[in-house]
Amino acid sequence: MTDRVSSGSERLDAVLGGGLLTNSINVVVGLPGSGKTILAQQYVFENASEDRPAVYLSTVSEPLEKILRYGQTLSFFDPNAIGTRVFYEDLGTSLSHPDALIETLGRVVAMLRERRPGLLVIDSFKALHPFASDATAFRRFLQDLAGNLTAYPATSLWVGEYGPDEIAVAPEFAVADGVISLAVEPAADRDARVLQVLKLRGSGFLSGRHGYRLSADGIHVFPRLADPVDQGTYTLEPERVSAGIPALDAALDSGLWPGGSTLVAGPSGSGKTLIGLHYIFKGAEIGRPGLIAGLQENPTQLERIVNGFGWSLGRDDVHVMYRSPVDMYLDEWVYELLTAVEEHGIRRILIDSLGDLRATATDEIRFREYVYSLLQRTAHAGVGVFMTQEVAELFGVTRLSEFGISHLSDNVILLQFLRSESRIKRALTVLKTRASGHDPRILEFEITSNGIELGERFADDQSFA
Amino acid sequence: MSEIATYSIGAVARMVRVPPATLRTWEERYGVVEPVRSAGGHRLYSRQDVERLRFVADRVREGISPGDAHRLLTEASGNLPLAAPDPGTRIVILLAERDPYAAEFAEFFLKTEGFEVVLALDAADAVGAVEADRPQLAIIDLLISGGAGLELCRDVQARGIPVLALSSIATRDAALEAGASAFLQKPLEPLQLVSAVRDLLGTSSFLHEVVPAR
Repeated sequence: MTDRVSSGSERLDAVLGGGLLTNSINVVVGLPGSGKTILAQQYVFENASEDRPAVYLSTVSEPLEKILRYGQTLSFFDPNAIGTRVFYEDLGTSLSHPDALIETLGRVVAMLRERRPGLLVIDSFKALHPFASDATAFRRFLQDLAGNLTAYPATSLWVGEYGPDEIAVAPEFAVADGVISLAVEPAADRDARVLQVLKLRGSGFLSGRHGYRLSADGIHVFPRLADPVDQGTYTLEPERVSAGIPALDAALDSGLWPGGSTLVAGPSGSGKTLIGLHYIFKGAEIGRPGLIAGLQENPTQLERIVNGFGWSLGRDDVHVMYRSPVDMYLDEWVYELLTAVEEHGIRRILIDSLGDLRATATDEIRFREYVYSLLQRTAHAGVGVFMTQEVAELFGVTRLSEFGISHLSDNVILLQFLRSESRIKRALTVLKTRASGHDPRILEFEITSNGIELGERFADDQSFA
Repeated sequence: MSEIATYSIGAVARMVRVPPATLRTWEERYGVVEPVRSAGGHRLYSRQDVERLRFVADRVREGISPGDAHRLLTEASGNLPLAAPDPGTRIVILLAERDPYAAEFAEFFLKTEGFEVVLALDAADAVGAVEADRPQLAIIDLLISGGAGLELCRDVQARGIPVLALSSIATRDAALEAGASAFLQKPLEPLQLVSAVRDLLGTSSFLHEVVPAR
């Protein structure tokens, strides 16, 4: 059985290994407000046809009137489909019968015979539990229902407000072929929505926790960027390209390899963004469109900065993707980035800064995995990446990156402040270059109206403390 | 649904009243109706294939050469009209199905179409029903009685009763080798089940009342 039932969302289908399995039984769990009913209705309108309609059965948790009233605010809700390819029915009457579950089962079977649906939703399924005289009676009902839904070719979604503890013990989870969890978790002072596939019988799926948002268009999932090691080979460009500053190119042994990644670390105000801007605008000059993916300066602030150095954001080959780190999902950001890269034919990216991205990640391991996956994708696509990283120490930097990203980067450049008599000096050091040599000396640089101007190495008696 | 390859060459030969050898010759010579092959090399015809072969067979019976009949088919393709269904006469179908839920659905849909259904939930009951009720068609779940379905297929087919084999697992080749005329994988679409039954019984209007396209 390889046919899949689409949610209408390419990314959610990707999380599910292509979609729900056709003719399978699936449980959608989550607390009130997590979007279960929206998700179920998304499947309904995406898949219902006059030949194979969808039947939506409400129980006693939420009145059918309410489901419909709020349902019609969704963009995919088609009022003309009701009664032709989508049928909403209320099981409340059956549940008020003394043999509530037997009546309910009979009603469901009758619905399968009469409507011949391709998709069947029961919302809320959990609300059926109290109608069983005991656990055995509920299991018997469950067996009969599952037996009918296995014999008849329909995909079903059982929606319920199950908590994590119930998933381990409620018998419907043993019967189900697929289990999707929608959760709302606190993250600092905000709520983060997390979708997780807990079970998908006979199919692979993207494991782990995936962020999602709800809107009038339904559920938008951001699959966790976590690519496995790709053993495939890809073509490398044979010529090195300028990093944007001639003296830096010299220190890097004739520039950078295209498609490589570079980490620029340094304290606040040391010139990290500026060196990245050199990289972007030089790239544009040599036919490599750039993307400034900023989380700090908004476009207005950025325009003023770049104008100060004689550049402009008005050009077609430099694009800006500014996102506030407030209420941001890590993976939502990366999909926007990858889409922009594809849409504009981007060859150079400046990520400013890694620290802001890190703040939206749940933990350090996840963040490393994320950056690794991103850099693998850009390397395969031949897209170069500059990443800025703030270090805590203003003088005498002893620790480079809190996140271990320097190991993942092809090149590492350190910017430092040095005390020198009555003024501050700036210093640049190439700490690491992968697949090439480099100048190991500590070079002085200044920021002028032309940007960064690299000078000579420091004298041996210069203090770094 | 009509494009699902379901029927064996033997079943098609009976349906269009042309020997299997002639069907193979037409396929090799004209290459117009080319059934798909199963992994085991069996020819598998869809309803569309059967409809097209029926058209050719009717033209040949009218005295047109097979070559010209195939050329007419190519010109008429996509324009072969279907007539209204036959009202049908009393027809008994043996439904040998181990799963009571599946049996209930299949029985309901077949009865809705006017067929009489004799239900057997194990192979022994099925053999008894063949003798007692003399069905015109047997529908056999291959997993009945712990996997006795193939043997039951051979037995029933040897008594001259066409068999529609069913299974939840992909065992089409084994079913056809055991003499089944057609195979459907479960769960069954009601329309697909009824269509296959009608085709095998020869009560399908599209097999008997096709009006040649002009």
